[in-house]
Order: sequence, then C-alpha cells, then structure tokens
Amino acid sequence: MIGPSFPAVLAAAQGGDEQAFAVLWRDLQPAVLRYLRVAAPVAAEDLAADTWISVIRGLARFRGDEQNLRTWVFTAARHRAMDWHRQAVRRPVASLPVELLAARAAPDDPAAAVLEAQSTQAALALLAELPPDQAEVVALRVLGGLGVAEVAQIVGKRPGAVRVLAHRGLRRLARRLEAAGLARGVTR
Amino acid sequence: MSDEDGLVADMHRLLGFLEVAPPVADPDTVERLLAGRLDPSDVPPGYGAVARLLAAATAPAAPEELAGEPLLLAEFKAVARSHPPTLAPRRETMPSRLASVKVAAAVLTAVLSIGGVAAAATGLLPGQAEQAAERAPSTTGAGAAGRGQVGEAAAAGLDAAAKQGLCEAWQAGQGADHGRRTDAAALRELAVAAGGADNVAAYCKDATAAGGNEAATGPDAGSPAKAGLCRAWLSGQGDHGRRMDSVAFQALADAAGGADKIAAYCKDAAPGSAGAQGPGSSSPPRRSAPSTTVSPPSGGPPADPGSGGQGQGGPPTTGS
Repeated sequence: MIGPSFPAVLAAAQGGDEQAFAVLWRDLQPAVLRYLRVAAPVAAEDLAADTWISVIRGLARFRGDEQNLRTWVFTAARHRAMDWHRQAVRRPVASLPVELLAARAAPDDPAAAVLEAQSTQAALALLAELPPDQAEVVALRVLGGLGVAEVAQIVGKRPGAVRVLAHRGLRRLARRLEAAGLARGVTR
Repeated sequence: MSDEDGLVADMHRLLGFLEVAPPVADPDTVERLLAGRLDPSDVPPGYGAVARLLAAATAPAAPEELAGEPLLLAEFKAVARSHPPTLAPRRETMPSRLASVKVAAAVLTAVLSIGGVAAAATGLLPGQAEQAAERAPSTTGAGAAGRGQVGEAAAAGLDAAAKQGLCEAWQAGQGADHGRRTDAAALRELAVAAGGADNVAAYCKDATAAGGNEAATGPDAGSPAKAGLCRAWLSGQGDHGRRMDSVAFQALADAAGGADKIAAYCKDAAPGSAGAQGPGSSSPPRRSAPSTTVSPPSGGPPADPGSGGQGQGGPPTTGS
C-alpha cells in the first residue's frame, strides 16, 4: 500500500511521470503476478505484463483512491486470466503446455513444501489447487489485499457468496495441509 | 517399485485427508486471517498451517517478481510521449466505447427482462446483469461491425436506447424502496454515464422528455436524485456497512462532503420536488465504463482499464 501519498503519486503518474508510475507498479506488481500464478499459472508473467500495458493505456482516465486502483488493476488481471482460459479451451490438445502437465505430476507436494519451507511458490501452487472459484476469491482477498466488497465487485458475485467461497477455501486448505502433515508425520 | 511407493504415499495422503475433521473457526477470525490482520496467537486450531501458507503467499517481493520493470517503464514512457495525458484517452475511445455499449445493452436487457419490481424486491439485478454481460462477449464478433454507429452515439454517453431504458428503470425505482437498486450494476452504469449519481435526474430528464439541457444549478436539496439516493442510503443503513462502495453512494458521499456527513446532508433532502437540477451542462456525460461488477466483454485490451475503470462518479475526463 502506498498510503497518504497515493493521490499525489497517482496524479504524477497520470501526468506522465515515469518515477511515479514506477512507484505504483512496484507496489502492485508482486500481488498481481502472484494472483495470476494462482489464476493462470503457466501464463502468469505474460498476463501480468498485458495487465500493466492496459493499465498504462487507461491510467489517464482512472479516477479513484488507492483501493479503487487496486480493484481496477485486479479486475484487468482477472480479465486477462479469463481470456487466457477461454483461449486455452480452444487450443488444440497437442499444444497444451507440457510443463504444466509435468508440474502437476511432479512428486514435490506443494503442501509439504509449504509445511517445511515458507515457500511463496509452493503457497501459490497450493492455492491454485483449490476449486477455481475458491482459489480466485482467496487469492484476491489475500494477495490482492482486497475486501469482501471489492472482491464481490471484481468477480460479480454477492458479498455473502464471496465470504462463503473464501471460508470454504481456507477450510479446504486447512484440511489439505493437515492431511499432508499427518501423511508425513509432521506435527502441525 | 517406485510406482508402488507413490501409490502408498497417495493412499496415505488420501486416508489422512479423510481422517482430518474439518476444522471449525468462527467467521470473524477467518475474515481477519484473510485480511492478514489475525494475531498469530489467535490462529484457531487447525489453521496454523494455513496461516503460514498465507504468510508465505504474501511474503515481500522477490527480485525476479520486479524484473519486468525496465520493460514496463519503457512502455509507459512510449505511451506518455506519444499520447500526452489529455489526449491519451482518445486513442481508445472507439473500441472501449463500443465495448461498454455492449455491456450497457446487455445490462439493459437484464433490467427490462426482470422488471423493476422483482429486481427491487429481490436484489436479483446484479446477478442477472452479470449473466447478461457474460453472454455479451459471445456476440462481440458478430455485432461489432454492425454497431459502429452505436459506438458513435455512445460518444455522448450511453447510447440512446440503453440510456432511456436505464433511466426508466431508475425512475421506476425512485418511489420504491430501492436500497438495493442503486447498488445494481445497471444503475451504477447510469450514474457513471451521468457523471455522478447527483446528475442522474438531470441526465435522465432529456432521455424521457426531449428537452434541452438547462443551465447548471448544482445539486440542490430538492433534487429527486438526491432524495432517492438519500432514501436508498437510509434504508440500507441497518443492513450493511459497505454500501459506500457503490458508485452511486460514492457520489452521494462526494456531494455531502464525506461519507460521515451523509446523514446530515440527507436530513434536509426533501423528497418529491422534481425541479430542474444537476450540474448537467458542466459535466458532459462521461461514457459509461463497464463497471467492475459486470463482467466485461472478453475483447482485447481496451475492454477494461481502457474504459476508465472505477470512475467513481468522477468528473468527465474524455474531452471531445
């Protein structure tokens, strides 16, 4: 979060100030990239860049506070992810990314990796294993730092539904990690 | 052999999974956990590993996550140089307007097909609008060429049919308890197009009665828009604290001079009087952004941020 200086930073960036834009970018990029690692893992880097390019083009017209900007940027990122999935469906099977399949079959269990090492990548991989609607909501709330209302706005669901999805997602993660802990004889 | 080992491990995991009772945690605690505001000592039993996972997921940025900076800054410079801020929006106006018109049209369909009463009574509108908007992308390709002229019309705001439909929906909700209606995506679209909830009445005035835009007088206390918003605000006070997130209420807050001043501002809102109001002429209707509530068209880059994003009832920025 940028905080009290946000309006000034935003205004400067909208006026074409490169350094001001860099401040916005550095603040949000890690969260955007991580969200996309959950929402569309193999394409996350590209989709993050696409997201920012569209943000750059629309920035001059943006009006709002910092939370609005976050909501806007994550909305853009989500659209990129959805487009990507839509296209992925149409993509011939043969061109399905092999590395994705390989990653899925990898012996390294992200749950174990999360338990043993505080690995960001493993944590994101585990989030990505949730049912898509739960993964999305948990990722937006946790990684995006967004509230129930903002997430509801982004995903087009009621706040109550967003809350339920997030809670279910966490419960599922808790069970998954607990199970992994038991399977490995690791105490929680 | 290694296959068997894998199988055994899988079975272990599966059995372990089945044996674990679903942990219970009270909703408030889970909310705080999600928001990253839960003290480690308050983490409920069974959620310790989840708390660690969330901490790992939100760890400080790694250098490689910021590796793309030079590229993005170069892009930023290129855009800023070739399109000075005041001109930048023009470049994308057509496609994004076109996109927003489609969303508006889809939303309109939802508004009209549900009917005001049902929507008001059940608050169904956002969901329906969303579904309609989800359908919109599928028509994008076919409709785009034929809708060129609609896009042109939209340069002045929503296209005429969408505007009229939305205005009718808005007016229908005026008298009723429309605590939820102003939250609805469609009506938020309207507020954005009007340049703020305060301007909706003025904006809609010439949609229904083909009259000229009269002089700007500023939001006045008797304005139906204000009265309507105030009623909606008051009716919603009990049941949710996050109402301020809607564009309409944001505009109300702006007009009141702050969210905490709404109560005072609304106190003197005399409902009913339908006089001329609204700073209509000083704020040419801003083109409607696909509200973030409404899933936007699938289209290319211009579809979302290009649309002006949140546009929380802000002033028009697309000079034409």
